[in-house]
Amino acid sequence: MANSNLPRRIIKETQRLLSEPAPGISASPSEDNMRYFNVMILGPTQSPYEGGVFKLELFLPEEYPMAAPKVRFLTKIYHPNIDKLGRICLDILKDKWSPALQIRTVLLSIQALLSAPNPDDPLSENIAKHWKSNEAEAVETAKEWTRLYASGA
Amino acid sequence: MKVKQGLKISKWYSISEERTGSGGVDTNIVCPVSVSVTVCASVEMGGSWSNGNNRNTRRRNSYHEHYPPPPPPAYYYHYSSQPLMPQPPQGYFPPPPLPHQYYSNGYTPPLHNHHPPFHATTNTQPSDVDLNLNVVQPLPLPPPPSYVDHETTKKVRNDVNLHKNTLQLHLDPNNPHHHLISFDFDALFDGRITIFYLAKEEEHKCRFVPLFPEAFEPITFPFEKGVGQKFCQPSGTGIDLGFFELDDLSNPSPEEDEFPLVICAETTPLEDHETPASSLVDASPHMQITQAVLEKIDGNAPFQVKVIRQILWIDQVRYELRELYGIGNSTAPDFDRNDPGKECVICMTEPKDTAVLPCRHMCMCSECAKALLLQSDKCPICRQAIEELIEIKINNGDDQ
Repeated sequence: MANSNLPRRIIKETQRLLSEPAPGISASPSEDNMRYFNVMILGPTQSPYEGGVFKLELFLPEEYPMAAPKVRFLTKIYHPNIDKLGRICLDILKDKWSPALQIRTVLLSIQALLSAPNPDDPLSENIAKHWKSNEAEAVETAKEWTRLYASGA
Repeated sequence: MKVKQGLKISKWYSISEERTGSGGVDTNIVCPVSVSVTVCASVEMGGSWSNGNNRNTRRRNSYHEHYPPPPPPAYYYHYSSQPLMPQPPQGYFPPPPLPHQYYSNGYTPPLHNHHPPFHATTNTQPSDVDLNLNVVQPLPLPPPPSYVDHETTKKVRNDVNLHKNTLQLHLDPNNPHHHLISFDFDALFDGRITIFYLAKEEEHKCRFVPLFPEAFEPITFPFEKGVGQKFCQPSGTGIDLGFFELDDLSNPSPEEDEFPLVICAETTPLEDHETPASSLVDASPHMQITQAVLEKIDGNAPFQVKVIRQILWIDQVRYELRELYGIGNSTAPDFDRNDPGKECVICMTEPKDTAVLPCRHMCMCSECAKALLLQSDKCPICRQAIEELIEIKINNGDDQ
């Protein structure tokens, strides 16, 4: 079975995520693959994503923790650093990964990214352009998408 | 996947023989930062030490790029009470390090007015054993090659150690406005303590000269050997700090080697007739210098002593005492596998026993450190380049 050789670190991280979840974040492993997590992040207050419930998937590759987890938004979101496939532009998931980071810290960073969109380092060129040319309007679109796609239904 | 050839893990063992009786001499872990340091140090110990100034110049010009230690974080001076590695929250990492200077040079023992012997009270509480772990970096550091073989490490024993967290300034109850020094210390041999105010180190030779001798002559107190001692400066020998500007007392000038408070603790060689021949080897004078500033939060508050650095002077070699971040009690026998602060940040299973130099983050077990080197040359905590890994085995000894 795929879960039989699960490193102790992954078991410990999973236990701690379940017993002491970070505020606004839930992550639970899939039953048939303990390296695959179903994640929910609540939209941070005072962000365009407030009130939204965002689903993500997180996968721990074989090399983890020497390599970063693979994380992707499943819920559609209007954000300059997240593309239409849900891929996330976040340095700690790429070249700034450190094995001292954990599932918890990665998800907290993603939550923080929702509070602080960075259109200067975009993944979605169009959304970033929108954000830089008319931020108020872009924020309205993000709120609208949150209502449409992340209402938690 | 790239393999860093030649970057090996040095093993350090803390030194059980340093600890005597039920008390504990601080366990100082000493290791040159690179093999070239060891060579350099051994040359100096061999006595060919005539061109120290030239070496200084060279080092000062080139040193900054190679050895920027991190800025002291908030827990720098209290690491034993806050032993845990900061878990990187939300992808945050500490700011980049600031440059730092090192010096070295020869030494001539200072001569100062002597005062009646200070009789130390020995604290025999075993609970006071303080396993301070310090990295000692020899100061004569030439810029090391990027990746060298670290086959040799050097271990030096610190015969006298002032516990810097215990250093305090008190008002003398019998002399208004006069301040007295107190601190805890360990000494393996008899020796003496000298207190300087606003003293400048001459030519980086661990020889101190007061800038205002008319205000306070350096004052020396003998001590007897023993661990867990408390030094309390006798009433009537203190200083009226009103003579100095507050700014002068709170601002060190490390580049000028001037510090508001300098305490030299040195051991003196034993007399022949008292010494078994075998222990003569260890009886060479050791000096530990503690350099501090005196701060006032507001005009009426008492002075707070803040230690800026500690230097060891052993066999004509200067070493700077450095602490390891996150060492805590990670290697204590009662290691708790569920305490997130004590476990290796990579496997989260084994106790941390390996520190990264030059950033001094003790954060990994040795197995994970080896695995990390196969694919990264960055510290997991701060991402500073790894120049050396040191594995630290704490020998808790049988003398508890």
